[in-house]
Amino acid sequence: MQHSIKKILLLTVLFSLFVSSVSFANTTSVNSQKALEKALEQHQGQVVYLDFWASWCGPCVKSFPWMNAIHKKYEQQGFAVISVNLDANKKLAEKFLVKNPASFAVIYDPKGKIAKHFAIQGMPSSMLIGRDGEIKSRHTGFFTKKIPEYEKEIEKLLSEK
Amino acid sequence: MSQKIKLVCTFSMLVSIAGCSSLGVEPWERDLLAKKEMSLSSSPVDSALDDHIYFSKEASSGGKSFGGGGCGCN
Amino acid sequence: MTDKKEKINIKAALTLATTALLGCTVSQVQAQEVDEWAFDAALLYYSEVDRVSAAETIFNANKTFANDEVLNLKLTIDTLTGASANGAVAQPSIQTFTRPSGNGQYQTPVGDTPLDDTFKDTRVQFNAQWTQPLAPNYTGSIGAHFSKEFDYLSLGLNGNLAFDFNNKNSTFSLGFSYFQDTLTPKGGIPNPLTSMLIGDSARSGDDDDDDFINIDDGWDDSFALTRLGKDDTKSTADILLGFTQVINRQMIMQFNYSYSVVDGYLNDPFKIVSVVDAGGITQGNIYESRPDTRIKQSAYMQSMYHFDSTILDVSYRYMWDDWNINSHTIDSRFRIPLSEGSYIQPHFRYYQQSAADFYQPFIMDNDMPSEFVSADYRIGEMTALTIGLKYGMLINDGNELSFRLEYYRQTPTDAGFTEPGVLQDVELYPTIDAIIGQVTYSF
Repeated sequence: MQHSIKKILLLTVLFSLFVSSVSFANTTSVNSQKALEKALEQHQGQVVYLDFWASWCGPCVKSFPWMNAIHKKYEQQGFAVISVNLDANKKLAEKFLVKNPASFAVIYDPKGKIAKHFAIQGMPSSMLIGRDGEIKSRHTGFFTKKIPEYEKEIEKLLSEK
Repeated sequence: MSQKIKLVCTFSMLVSIAGCSSLGVEPWERDLLAKKEMSLSSSPVDSALDDHIYFSKEASSGGKSFGGGGCGCN
Repeated sequence: MTDKKEKINIKAALTLATTALLGCTVSQVQAQEVDEWAFDAALLYYSEVDRVSAAETIFNANKTFANDEVLNLKLTIDTLTGASANGAVAQPSIQTFTRPSGNGQYQTPVGDTPLDDTFKDTRVQFNAQWTQPLAPNYTGSIGAHFSKEFDYLSLGLNGNLAFDFNNKNSTFSLGFSYFQDTLTPKGGIPNPLTSMLIGDSARSGDDDDDDFINIDDGWDDSFALTRLGKDDTKSTADILLGFTQVINRQMIMQFNYSYSVVDGYLNDPFKIVSVVDAGGITQGNIYESRPDTRIKQSAYMQSMYHFDSTILDVSYRYMWDDWNINSHTIDSRFRIPLSEGSYIQPHFRYYQQSAADFYQPFIMDNDMPSEFVSADYRIGEMTALTIGLKYGMLINDGNELSFRLEYYRQTPTDAGFTEPGVLQDVELYPTIDAIIGQVTYSF
């Protein structure tokens, strides 16, 4: 009798753990989308460079120094870089950030819900959001030789009211 | 004749796989594929040394190539 | 930035200290190794029991540039020593053979497979490969090859175009390569199907052996008659079609087809075929003769699967050619990560080939071949097995040191030739065992 009560208790504990982990997972992904919405709200009326990256993406390493630079350079004019990390394993993203620090916000989207929502076509991907909150341009991949082109786009959007 | 049949089978398998757009992953799901160990030529030095041995000791050679896989970036 | 510079200096220091070791991780753009030189240095030792030994070293340098261009440079040096089978059959008596140069002889003990130990050669090879994106989803690559040893020169070019589609889940690739080789064997090119004369440029005439020609009787002239010329050439043109497909997050597959045409001098100038009588006694040896063209085709399939932490790599290749050789190759590796970046990787390879049309382990003297014949076991019927283990570990802040030990066993088999007389009592198809050991340092 006692043995079967212990079994039931064990199963109940395991079941509630499972249920809570499932709901935790759900809240995490809901959290990532909410976190992005919150970040975008904070920069309403500003130009936002939204970047999608992962620790295993080579060109992402090259993009970080530049993103840090533009985040600082255009800040005064009402500009911000917001990044979305798509690592399935958050620890790898944290390791990457130790070697390549980010002065801009990082939102974790391990399940890729935000990436799916924006139909990301390649890694890395970036989008420029204008002061009116609309997506003005999208880029797939990061190419150092295109940096002048990227900066021209940003400056054009900054000059718009 | 059986060689031709084998070729036909190989190519029809290829075509059917190419047509299967349900195969593959989203661009952000390539974390494992991006690993060096998951490259189709993961130890090119070992492969070069082995190929040289087997080319010298056997009647067959080559057949392998590069291209595809990896992180899919840029 | 200073961290990266320091790393390069450490690399330089190591290069000086450990001269045999340079290393590089090729092809893949690493999240941590962009715009840097990556080196690999490897040293391999191959040794067959009682036969050939070879030492080979590779220095590989790889650099990814700002716009995703990749340059790969590779230097290979290898040396060969020891003895190789010359194609003649074992006999119940001592056999004497002339060295390929005509200078000197060697003898084979009773019952042993005749081995020629003349080969002591060093080869140097240089490869360069440039890869770059040509347009979104298009990657191109070109390369050059140069290889030189005492009696062989090889020059080659290659080019490749890859096209990605389906969000880079699929890739088509088209490659071609062309090699032009020149052989200048010591002693010249032997006249195929003519007899190997038993003689010696160094000895003067005090022998009364009827078959022995010595310097006084005009050995040099007689030997020269068995030669066609000083050198000859061979060209190889290959085309390769490839298709790569990502199956899911854990699996990727590749399918290749290749077509290869070799044209020119395809004989092995050092190989002979024994002519035996009904009792299996060797009457003489003649130089082998192969066709001057060979068309090879292969179909290759590879898949890689990432389990929770282990990775399985399995490939299969089927080769067929117009010499009627067919072969199957199954190659597999299983990578098992251990703690802190170290791993072990067992390796298994199985190979099987059928004999070429004109392969014969020996010739009956009443049935001389009119056109092509070779007793080279490497185009005969055989199976081969490789079992190996590789161990890798990380040292010096992320550099990899690995050790590989393999056992390679070649088993030539009887393709259906009835053995006359004494040939039934000797080993016509000796098994060849070899050990392969390799050390690689990547930094």
